[in-house]
Amino acid sequence: MPKLSVRNLTKRFPVSGGPSMTALDGVDLDVEEGEFIAFVGPSGCGKTTLLRIIQGLETATSGEILIDGKPVTGPGHDRGFVFQQYGLLPWLTAAQNIGFALEAKGIPPNRQGETTERVLATVGLKGFGDRFPHQLSGGMQQRVGIARALAIEPEIMLLDEPFGALDALTREILQNEMLGLTERMGKTILFVTHSVDEAVCLADRVVVMSPRPGRIREIVPIDIPRPRASLGEALRDTPEYVAKRHQLWNQLMDLV
Amino acid sequence: MQRSAQASAVSKSAGEPEAASDPNRQRRRERLLQFGTLVLLLAVWEFAARDANKLLVAVPSDIAVATWELLLNGELFWATLDSMSTFVLGFIIASVIGIVIGFAMGTNRTVEVILDPYINALYAMPLVALIPILMLWVGIGFLAKITIIILFAVFPVIINTVTGVKNVDRHYLDIGKAFMASRFMVYRQIIAPYALPYVASGLRIALGRGIIAMIVAEFLTSISGLGGLIINYTNAFETAKAFAPVLVVALLANALTVLVQKVEERFGRWRRR
Ligand SMILES: Nc1ncnc2c1ncn2[C@@H]1O[C@H](COP(=O)(O)OP(=O)(O)O)[C@@H](O)[C@H]1O
Ligand SMILES: [Mg+2]
Repeated sequence: MPKLSVRNLTKRFPVSGGPSMTALDGVDLDVEEGEFIAFVGPSGCGKTTLLRIIQGLETATSGEILIDGKPVTGPGHDRGFVFQQYGLLPWLTAAQNIGFALEAKGIPPNRQGETTERVLATVGLKGFGDRFPHQLSGGMQQRVGIARALAIEPEIMLLDEPFGALDALTREILQNEMLGLTERMGKTILFVTHSVDEAVCLADRVVVMSPRPGRIREIVPIDIPRPRASLGEALRDTPEYVAKRHQLWNQLMDLV
Repeated sequence: MQRSAQASAVSKSAGEPEAASDPNRQRRRERLLQFGTLVLLLAVWEFAARDANKLLVAVPSDIAVATWELLLNGELFWATLDSMSTFVLGFIIASVIGIVIGFAMGTNRTVEVILDPYINALYAMPLVALIPILMLWVGIGFLAKITIIILFAVFPVIINTVTGVKNVDRHYLDIGKAFMASRFMVYRQIIAPYALPYVASGLRIALGRGIIAMIVAEFLTSISGLGGLIINYTNAFETAKAFAPVLVVALLANALTVLVQKVEERFGRWRRR
């Protein structure tokens, strides 16, 4: 049984004084346990909407989401969400932001500290727990967001363009860390990106989406063997990387 | 001179001490300018009013002497204590009521729809008009004064709290939702911190209105406190003494505003760069 199933999912947003806007139209997808799925596609093709519905932040117009075969009816601690922007509460420190998620999961304060320290160390932010978000760089803020999602020990991680607002260098560093992290943990991951490079490096399968209405255009398997993290820059020289990057690039070009 | 100091500050990469001294000197000069103007103003007042009727116009030197007298005999102290205990209690009650009602209106559409017209109408109307009627119900004592202060102070707190609560960024509410925070957590850790600056500016407005209410109440209900001193000494044509409590009210209003600002800064620490 797939870990996560998206069944004939349609989402329409009401538009004032006009016909409704179809953000997703009959989306079907099965994700296996431990699989890393990347979503790419022009902006407005419904990537964020799809992730938000899976998280339970939004309700589908029709269709359903199944986790372990059971329908999803709302948010849950089995899913950890990483937001693209404004993902941290600015009045809480990094540690308090993580504590927020732990408290929401019902973990008592005296047992939060250990987990907080551990996940901060996992994302390379040991000793930064007392910083407020504005005292951290954009890349560090996203790491806190990832640490917070990790803290609740979800079965599925949902990341919506987590590195989208970062500069190229920071972005590449975080991509490599993400690769190492996910290969060590083996979690099921759904990852939205607008970078073909990022998708090919990280994913087992890349889902190409097309806009108006948002649909799955193609699902491209990436057969670069794992662990890829140890390859470093050489990853981008493998024939599979070059070929898949080329293929995806052309497909996206056709869409815009 | 000025230019060379600037040039050296720019040329040295670690020139912060010099760079910092410039705005400091600027600030000192501005303070001096303000103080000088004050002294000049008092001098002109003193001079111009010297030959005026002492029953009607007081000069600064007389006011200083009168203030000193009222300080020594304790009159000013007891009047201030009387006024302030009433004011502080009224202000605190108004703040609590205002924040609670504001939160309720901001988070519950039904409550908002029901209360909104009354809140807006009462905020806009001259509440002084209600005081005589109010006195029929609550008398002229302590209760009357507290009620009047609350009435004047509560509406800006409500209105600003509602604005803050309703403005909460959807992104932050999504965080609460995604991680399944309880309603209480969302109130305490998302909505309240977000609304805080709005509430604080409501409190500052409430402070000003509350002080006015306090003085008006002391004029119109049982005559007492600082407002009472003003009325009594004016009626006795002891104009210089009437100025002393005015001075105290002015100082207190400013001190309290600074206090509210400090409290706001303490809670808004996360915003400081
Ligand atoms: N809350 C909303 N209300 C109305 N339209 C929305 C809303 N959210 C998204 N949309 C529309 O749905 C479409 C898909 O949006 P989105 O999922 O954000 O796309 P992507 O993340 O792929 O850029 C867009 O056309 C967007 O304008
Ligand atoms: Mg998006």
